[in-house]
Amino acid sequence: MKAFSAINSTNPCLPKTHFLKVPIFHPFFKFNPFSHSYNTHAHAANRAHKLPLTISCKLKSSQDVKNKGKSVSQKIVLSETSPPPLTEDDSTNSDSGDVPQSSMKKKGGPFEVLIVFRRKTLQILSSLPLAIADMFVAAALMALGTLIEQGEAPDFYIQKYSEDNPVFGFFTWRWILALGFDHMFSSPVFLGVLALLGASLMACTYTTQLPIIKVSRRWSFLHSAEAIRKQEFSESLPRASIQDVGTILMGAGYEVFLKGPSLYAFKGLAGRLAPVGVHIALLLVMAGGTVSAAGSFRGSVTVPQGLNFVVGDVLAPSGFLSSPTEAFNTEIHVNRFYMDYFESGEVSQFHTDLSLRNMDGKEVMRKTISVNDPLRYGGITIYQTDWSISALQILKDNEGPYNLAMAPLQINGDKKLYGTFLPVGDINSPDVKGISMLARDLQSIVLYDKEGKFVGVRRPNSNLPINIDGSEIVIVDAIGSSGLDLKTDPGVPVVYAGFGALMITTCISYLSHSQIWALQDGTTVFVGGKTNRAKIEFPEEMNRLLDKVPEIVESTLSKQADSISG
Amino acid sequence: MIFSTLEHILTHISFSIVSIVITIHLITFLVDEIIKLYDSSEKGMIMTFFCITGLLVTRWIYSGHFPLSNLYESLIFLSWSFSLIHIVPYFKKNQNFLSAIIGPSAIFTQGFATSGLLTEIHESAILVPALQSEWLIMHVSMMILGYAALLCGSLLSVALLVIANRKLFFTSNHLLNLNGSFFFGEIEYMNERRNVLQNTSFFSPKNYYRSQFIQQLDYCSYRVISLGFIFLTIGILSGAVWANEAWGSYWSWDPKETWAFITWIVFAIYLHIRTNIKWKGINSAIVASIGFLIIWICYFGVNLLGIGLHSYGSFTLTSN
Repeated sequence: MKAFSAINSTNPCLPKTHFLKVPIFHPFFKFNPFSHSYNTHAHAANRAHKLPLTISCKLKSSQDVKNKGKSVSQKIVLSETSPPPLTEDDSTNSDSGDVPQSSMKKKGGPFEVLIVFRRKTLQILSSLPLAIADMFVAAALMALGTLIEQGEAPDFYIQKYSEDNPVFGFFTWRWILALGFDHMFSSPVFLGVLALLGASLMACTYTTQLPIIKVSRRWSFLHSAEAIRKQEFSESLPRASIQDVGTILMGAGYEVFLKGPSLYAFKGLAGRLAPVGVHIALLLVMAGGTVSAAGSFRGSVTVPQGLNFVVGDVLAPSGFLSSPTEAFNTEIHVNRFYMDYFESGEVSQFHTDLSLRNMDGKEVMRKTISVNDPLRYGGITIYQTDWSISALQILKDNEGPYNLAMAPLQINGDKKLYGTFLPVGDINSPDVKGISMLARDLQSIVLYDKEGKFVGVRRPNSNLPINIDGSEIVIVDAIGSSGLDLKTDPGVPVVYAGFGALMITTCISYLSHSQIWALQDGTTVFVGGKTNRAKIEFPEEMNRLLDKVPEIVESTLSKQADSISG
Repeated sequence: MIFSTLEHILTHISFSIVSIVITIHLITFLVDEIIKLYDSSEKGMIMTFFCITGLLVTRWIYSGHFPLSNLYESLIFLSWSFSLIHIVPYFKKNQNFLSAIIGPSAIFTQGFATSGLLTEIHESAILVPALQSEWLIMHVSMMILGYAALLCGSLLSVALLVIANRKLFFTSNHLLNLNGSFFFGEIEYMNERRNVLQNTSFFSPKNYYRSQFIQQLDYCSYRVISLGFIFLTIGILSGAVWANEAWGSYWSWDPKETWAFITWIVFAIYLHIRTNIKWKGINSAIVASIGFLIIWICYFGVNLLGIGLHSYGSFTLTSN
């Protein structure tokens, strides 16, 4: 202890503090006026200020300096942690926890009950077991939602989950319909679980996470070797100097603070604060999701090439907050629909050329959209999602052209097939026969005669006639129709902001917050430290770093002792 | 033609190297720790990594799109991710745990991918319109890297559970014990040797080493799972952004999406359980083991059903 006090009073670290670099978090300095004043100087002009500062220190007695330091730091701490007294008391009543408590108690009445109630709810909501249980329930419900067929008619469930043969001996259609599991992801049970999750997320952020910021901004020196030895990692270095330890730690990316014989260093503070950001980002995503669910419009439409529709006719509101905008009067004209093909003949991509016209019939926008490349106009997004074939244009015996409507045919597999039929002979007879035309895409049409025999394949636009059952047929064109999805979603910007924040903060959360304390006791330096995540790597890193600390040979040691005492 | 031959060669080379690596591990475990042999297994993993990289690049060149459009390619990518995790220098310190986990994992995924079970989907298929986007690379590679890291981490947790309950297994079921210690016994053994060298403590060495070993496994699995969690988060979010471009909604409760979210929640639970010191270790390891099952449901189970918007990853098991 003698050594400490000697070192403390003369402050030997001052001439050496040019090691310190200015940390990112400035509030740290307010706890330590010494290093604050010095550091800024040191940062500006490293060695130039050495002399005047040592002089100024010598002018004051050590006791004065100490006391002044204390009082200043305390003052600043006060202003940092709690709001200024009285003046702001009333305004902060509603949202600050501890301050109103005392002023309210005097008044008594229903407010007190409310506050106790609020505190209890916060306590319950922010408890970890509840949050974990809630997450498990949410996960289980989601799993159930993928196992039970969604969005079927009640009869389907009554048949599949009949009471004669209950799943696990109790689970029947009554459960499904009563709990709304036929539309799990909008059922009150699931939404309730999500809401509870959101509530506990908020409570946890408020009661546990935000205080972490305050606590982790507080940094302290350890003044006894015992406290340092108690850390997860501890080591004692005989014949070493704490300045060397500081330099080496700084070289390894630590923020280092030296004060007298004590050293405090930390790294990766962001890793401790980032989980707070993760929680806030999750809340942002949830809020955005709620806005999406309550305030969006969606609709889908299949439009043959050359026709048009009005946006407002297609869009249907999905929530109570949905309100139509000016852009809903826009008329959309499908100028052209076409497809790209691979060499093998399979569809590779489909495009729709759209024109948007306002109420006056003026074109306000034109864009060719495709899958993965939607159009955005006035808050409305138009997606290319599907296609079909609406009609075949043919010439029969050089008459026409006739438009034959194509109908989708149900086949196994996910490939599309469309067909149409051209009657031959007497149309009014009961067993009318004719030519069948089938198409998988807009490239080629397969023709069959009235007996069902394959006749040939023709490409649209080829103008190559084909003779079937005595009539000459030319396929002029195949007209596709474009499947479009429209939506407005005011929640997207919020959700995207949440996504961005979530990605960044999750990545930062991987950083491990390491703290190191060291104390010079005579010629021995005690080093101790802890980290919150990288528990395996930390001791290894420390051993590697401390190996680098030079051992002080007798002569330099005595020199240092001189400089300390002098 | 030349491409497919090259692909075949690379597949077989990487597969045989992984088998050799596993054999080496077994030899070092059963017979003796021969440093040279151990080094060669390290080199073997690096060779495997380059072979699979070559395989993926070949496929990329001749199919013209990023080779992640079907299950076969994603399985190859998964074993590539395993070998990547293995050779990333950051994890070198935990080499002993991880190489014991990664070797068998890589051989299983690759074996499954190249086996007859999935012959139908070996050919690189054309890319459906919805997949033609730059997001494909980002989304799928992040998801699979995430799966790989989470699988490694949760396997470490399974190992922890097995070792922690070893006595229990031993008394109740000799076979289980054999299975459990098959791979993990090796690393435990090596770790103990290392500790003997490092540490000269006097109190009950066996239990001390075991508890220390369990703790190291715990920390290691935590780090790997956190890394996988980052990849999974980025993967899910980029998928959501992509879905908002292609399908018109950033979240549509599609089965694959839902299961990915369930996986995310389970590992979020794992991370939260670890914040409580009392529950660290066994409890979090149990959750991670549940997560292991969930990943497989998410990765395979949903594809097996072939439902939902992610159906292009689906497959049918053909037994021939």
